[in-house]
Amino acid sequence: MTRVLWIAAAIVGALLAQSVLSQLTPLHARDFDPFLLVLVYCGLILGETQGMLAGAAAGWVQDVHFGGTIVGLSGLTKLIVGFAVGQSGRHFNLSSPASRLLVVFAATLVDAVLFAALASVFDVKIYELSVRGLAARATFNALAGAVVYEIVERRRQREANA
Amino acid sequence: MARVLDTARDSRVILGGLVLVHLIVISRQVDTGGGRSLLQQVVFEALSPGQRAAAAAVRGIGGAYDGYVDLRRVHERNRALEAQVADLERALQAREEDARAAARLRELLDLQHVLPVETIAAEVVAHDGVPWFRTLTIDKGRAAGVDLNAAVITPTGIVGRITAVGPRAARVQLLLDHSSGVGVLVERTRVMGVVSGQVPASGAGTTELVMSYVSSIADVKVDDVVVTSGLDHIFPKGLLVGRIVSVGPPTGLFREIRVAPSAHFDRIEEVLVLKRAPDAVSLPRSVRSDPAS
Repeated sequence: MTRVLWIAAAIVGALLAQSVLSQLTPLHARDFDPFLLVLVYCGLILGETQGMLAGAAAGWVQDVHFGGTIVGLSGLTKLIVGFAVGQSGRHFNLSSPASRLLVVFAATLVDAVLFAALASVFDVKIYELSVRGLAARATFNALAGAVVYEIVERRRQREANA
Repeated sequence: MARVLDTARDSRVILGGLVLVHLIVISRQVDTGGGRSLLQQVVFEALSPGQRAAAAAVRGIGGAYDGYVDLRRVHERNRALEAQVADLERALQAREEDARAAARLRELLDLQHVLPVETIAAEVVAHDGVPWFRTLTIDKGRAAGVDLNAAVITPTGIVGRITAVGPRAARVQLLLDHSSGVGVLVERTRVMGVVSGQVPASGAGTTELVMSYVSSIADVKVDDVVVTSGLDHIFPKGLLVGRIVSVGPPTGLFREIRVAPSAHFDRIEEVLVLKRAPDAVSLPRSVRSDPAS
């Protein structure tokens, strides 16, 4: 139960972060995806089930607040990405900051490609990201993720030691 | 004998003392021309270099100390003044921001007064959150009377329509979004078309709109003003959309026309949501801004 509350709080935090960022830099906030950071962390730490559930929840919140006329595309995309990250975490050692950075980078790319594919399948018109834009988004997410995960990990270690 | 010697020594001392007394007495009466007695002169001359040196040293040390103290005072004063300047700058910025907000709200209020429909003023609480869509979130929802598909406008032009409504918030699909579509006409020639979101303009942070379904023989040219036609039953007729920036060559029956939106999408902070869309509403000229401005 506590875990669910923490995930819910993280998703709400991501929504607030995205909203605040969009107010501060309206043109660049869309290049950052805090929801993705939540699901990647859940997938890596808690496994594929929690990863995909967190991904679905985060995606739906993102859809409702920032999506287009058809809601659920981000939900589905992030569900798949959350599962994939969880699976990766099970099979590979992804506990180091560098490997997590790489996971966020890859997850951002997969998320964008999946989203574009789903939009095409459901005939939803979207702005397609350029390769450069996608790379920038993935890099920014990866760097932000590395910082955020490090902070969260240190906090967890402190609590574990206390 | 010893007594005699003692007497002689005493007498020498006395002599010396008396001589000195005399010299003093005499010297007090001798004017050396400088207004000082000889003794004074001698003593003065003998001691004044040391005195000067001491005075110079004291002056030097005093000056250095005063300088140090002054420097500290100046430093403290400088810091205090810097803090004061920073405070004043902050206050000035806050005042300027207030003034800008007041000007924006005044424009919005003016527009609200001239529109013959009921409107709801709302504040933008979030801009685009994902790169695939162009949306805004506003702080007014169903509780304030915002309906699905309601038109959203600013004094500079139309913004979009409501695509999702919550109790206290609503999402706006911007005119820039790929899926948007607004019935428009060219104000000068009444040529009709549909405007929707288009790819970002090269290099710029803004975007252009594309006007479709315009006949290849229609009379349109660059700088023509584009307004809503009202045929979509979302936007009232006559609201400013933008200005034509390029007219493409004919491709079959139609030609592609690019329109620069008049609304400043990158800095929208307050909007008006129309409660219903009447068939014919025209904005007065006074509240229409040039898209190029």
